[in-house]
Amino acid sequence: MIGPYASHQRRFFSPLDVVLLALLAAMVVWLGPGLIRAGEYRWNWSVIWRYMVRYDPVSDRMRPNVLLNGFFTTIRLSIWSGVVAMIIGLVMGVLASRRRLLARLVTRTYVEFARNTPPLVLVFLFYYFLGQQITAILGLEQWVAAMDPRTARIVTILAAPPRQLPAFVSAVATLGIFEGAYLTEIVRAGIQSVPKGQWEAGYALGLSSRDRYRFVVLPQAWRVVLPAAVGQFISIIKDSSIVAVISIPELTFQGLEVMAATYRTFEIWITIALMYFLLSSICSWGARGIERRLARHVAR
Amino acid sequence: MSTTIDKDDKDDKDDKEPIIHVRNVVKTFGNGVRALDGVSIDIGRREVVVVVGPSGSGKSTFLRCLNGLETADSGEIVIDGIPLDHNRKNRLEIRKEAGMVFQQFNLFPHMTVGRNIDLAQIRVRGASTEEARRNTCELLTKVGLEDRVDAYPAQLSGGQQQRVAIARALALRPRVMLFDEATSALDPEMIGEVLDVMRDLAREGMTMVVVTHEMGFAREVGDRAVFIDEGRFIEIGPAAEVFDNAKEERTREFLSKVL
Ligand SMILES: Nc1ncnc2c1ncn2[C@@H]1O[C@H](COP(=O)(O)OP(=O)(O)OP(=O)(O)O)[C@@H](O)[C@H]1O
Ligand SMILES: [Mg+2]
Repeated sequence: MIGPYASHQRRFFSPLDVVLLALLAAMVVWLGPGLIRAGEYRWNWSVIWRYMVRYDPVSDRMRPNVLLNGFFTTIRLSIWSGVVAMIIGLVMGVLASRRRLLARLVTRTYVEFARNTPPLVLVFLFYYFLGQQITAILGLEQWVAAMDPRTARIVTILAAPPRQLPAFVSAVATLGIFEGAYLTEIVRAGIQSVPKGQWEAGYALGLSSRDRYRFVVLPQAWRVVLPAAVGQFISIIKDSSIVAVISIPELTFQGLEVMAATYRTFEIWITIALMYFLLSSICSWGARGIERRLARHVAR
Repeated sequence: MSTTIDKDDKDDKDDKEPIIHVRNVVKTFGNGVRALDGVSIDIGRREVVVVVGPSGSGKSTFLRCLNGLETADSGEIVIDGIPLDHNRKNRLEIRKEAGMVFQQFNLFPHMTVGRNIDLAQIRVRGASTEEARRNTCELLTKVGLEDRVDAYPAQLSGGQQQRVAIARALALRPRVMLFDEATSALDPEMIGEVLDVMRDLAREGMTMVVVTHEMGFAREVGDRAVFIDEGRFIEIGPAAEVFDNAKEERTREFLSKVL
């Protein structure tokens, strides 16, 4: 072991460890009686399986049931929100890196607003105000009404069943705008991590401002942005649970539904926690892979 | 837009007109530092002007004002007949006319050497990829690095990187080259190879403004020398005269310290 922590490694107990252990002990004493009662709890995991998959007599096959469908909806929701957030982050991040006062003012206001408002409040705000506007502007209702079955199937696979599409779109917009603020900061920081000399060389070579971003700065900023953006995507997955409040049938919402039907509180929430954990872990594993590859690239 | 502007027709322009005209340029930074305090100079075609002076005297600021990297507060700058004003088109023309070489090379680290030099030809002059690459190889041959076209900057030594940077600055066939301490970041054994390239350029008749701490080189290659201190041109004269026989006390004092 080398580095500043090497000396700490030799001591088994630091004062901080003692405090932590004491806290842990206190927690056991405090929660102990509750845990023992939980020991008498009669677990029933079969409920979970029933809500994961169901037998479909029509096609004579097993089909995903509400929990698994919620899981897939969470994935779809996260991916779309991630795409929207990335686009917003890219545009706003570039604007934020500009010297123009107006550009900075606009991005600053957006970032501060999105970061200093509870996401739950944002969800309601967007759902009841913007959601209607957005779906109206996109002409979503009419489009859904006029949709042929084939398109409807594709839309269901890619996003949500046509009936739920307007709600899904406002959920994506909400999450996208909310997470976009963090991505804006990530992109801005990435751009600012590129040395000034790179801008100046591009300028001296006569490259337009757009070309300086496109060919010189953004490709270099990418190295800083990409790992952080994937990390932010994990937040999107977790934060996506808040749109349960506007009845998007994602994982958390489905969990609430199943709980209302079965009262198997522990089984359900443990399962749901594990499903989120699985999804996030896959992403952070991917993020580490990307980081390693980029690091190798730089060391070239 | 036509892709190949033959720069040689422009050479017929009045040869006696200065290619760089600077009149009473003042540059103050936000923190109140007056980096340039009313400087004036006319530089003729094919002339090599070396700029020397103590650290913080305004040498870089002067060069950066010439291609618009810094905007002067007042005064007049005209490069090859194009006034450097707020007109974006003029500024772009001047950026194409003036190549700049930086102390820190500033090569694009994520691009190969070849791509570094191709880029502006393709994006600014509208050259085709093949056309650009042909010119790039010629330029690399000129700086003695024709075999490193596919290398990345990080794989090159400092001296090689700076030679690539010079080739890149030449890619748009500028009429003027600005060098800001091109050898100051180099290990001593690599300074020579970069100075050789600069010497060749001067011999070919490139108009050059060279900020340098290499006094021997400055005296040898410079047609004229400028001594700058506290944002003012203290002395301007034939290089040999300034270095061996300075009129101003401050110039002599500075030179005695660095020579
Ligand atoms: N961007 C800036 N903001 C504020 N002050 C600046 C800036 N750039 C330069 N200066 C100041 O302007 C003065 C001239 O700086 P300049 O870089 O032109 O000097 P120089 O002669 O190139 O020095 P050196 O030999 O160290 O490169 C210095 O006092 C410097 O601190
Ligand atoms: Mg300098």
